[in-house]
Amino acid sequence: MSYIVIDSSKCKSCYLCMEVCPNKLIKKSGNVGKTGEYTVEFVDKENKCTGCAMCAMMCPDIAITGVYKE
Amino acid sequence: MQVYAKPKSIKENSSFTFCSGCDHGLALKLVASVIDELDIQQDTIAVASSGCSVFLYNFLEVDCIESPHGRACAVATGVKRAHKARNNDKIVFTYQGDGDFASIGLGESIHSALRGENITAICINNTNYGMTGGQLGPTTAMGQITTTSPTGRNREYHGFPIKTAEHIALCEGTAFSARVALYDIKNIYNAKNMIKKAFEYQKKGLGFSFVEILSSCPTNWKLSPSDSHKKIKEELTKVYPLKVFKDVLNG
Repeated sequence: MSYIVIDSSKCKSCYLCMEVCPNKLIKKSGNVGKTGEYTVEFVDKENKCTGCAMCAMMCPDIAITGVYKE
Repeated sequence: MQVYAKPKSIKENSSFTFCSGCDHGLALKLVASVIDELDIQQDTIAVASSGCSVFLYNFLEVDCIESPHGRACAVATGVKRAHKARNNDKIVFTYQGDGDFASIGLGESIHSALRGENITAICINNTNYGMTGGQLGPTTAMGQITTTSPTGRNREYHGFPIKTAEHIALCEGTAFSARVALYDIKNIYNAKNMIKKAFEYQKKGLGFSFVEILSSCPTNWKLSPSDSHKKIKEELTKVYPLKVFKDVLNG
């Protein structure tokens, strides 16, 4: 099961990760971040994450601090 | 197994002060991961400039020196030569915006390339003066609307934009000059390879190495981060082609 770790205190709600995720596993959360908009959260109920790390490569603020693959 | 982690050369607990979706963070992350990969953290000196890139020393875990506006390449020349004179060669790079590198500092930048200074320059080109509010800069594309060109850049009043990577490639002292973009994953990996090459060329002592990074400025372009990337892909890459313009080792 692969997964990512998001540090929402660093998320600036640019949503570039949501766009780049091939399985669309990153969604807007209900929490407001430091820019006044919703931060993102990782939702993977069906274990679809492949650990490709594209979201982490794309994140301009290093808010995706780790990608784990199994 | 962890397949991705924060680059070691980015300071712990630091968080970028750039606007939401700004490519500056991406570019800095790539520079940090190249420093990690080449294992040169202890031997690297960064020269920061004025502009959005001014807080470089707050983010990178390498020695940094702040330079006067536009003079990063001149300061880097001094740092590099002083260390070399003491037989303590360092990897010296500048991290500048287009206003710093190609506007106020064009003289310093071009002459560093002409002298063949063995330094690396990284220029973030976001086609306006980002930090001061999005005014027209030397790299603003024809027709582009900024706060000081409300009807778009035109030939009669503003003239033509400068194509920095092409100009630097014309200098005989230049070892490597390329332009890259960061609008998708393929280009991000390509940009990383080009930055790595630029550092490697400096390590080999081949001369001035330069990478121009086409970057987005969502705040001043008044677009969303994703639309800004679309603009780079569809409009700006036609004005500023992504290419290696000079590479002394590969023709």
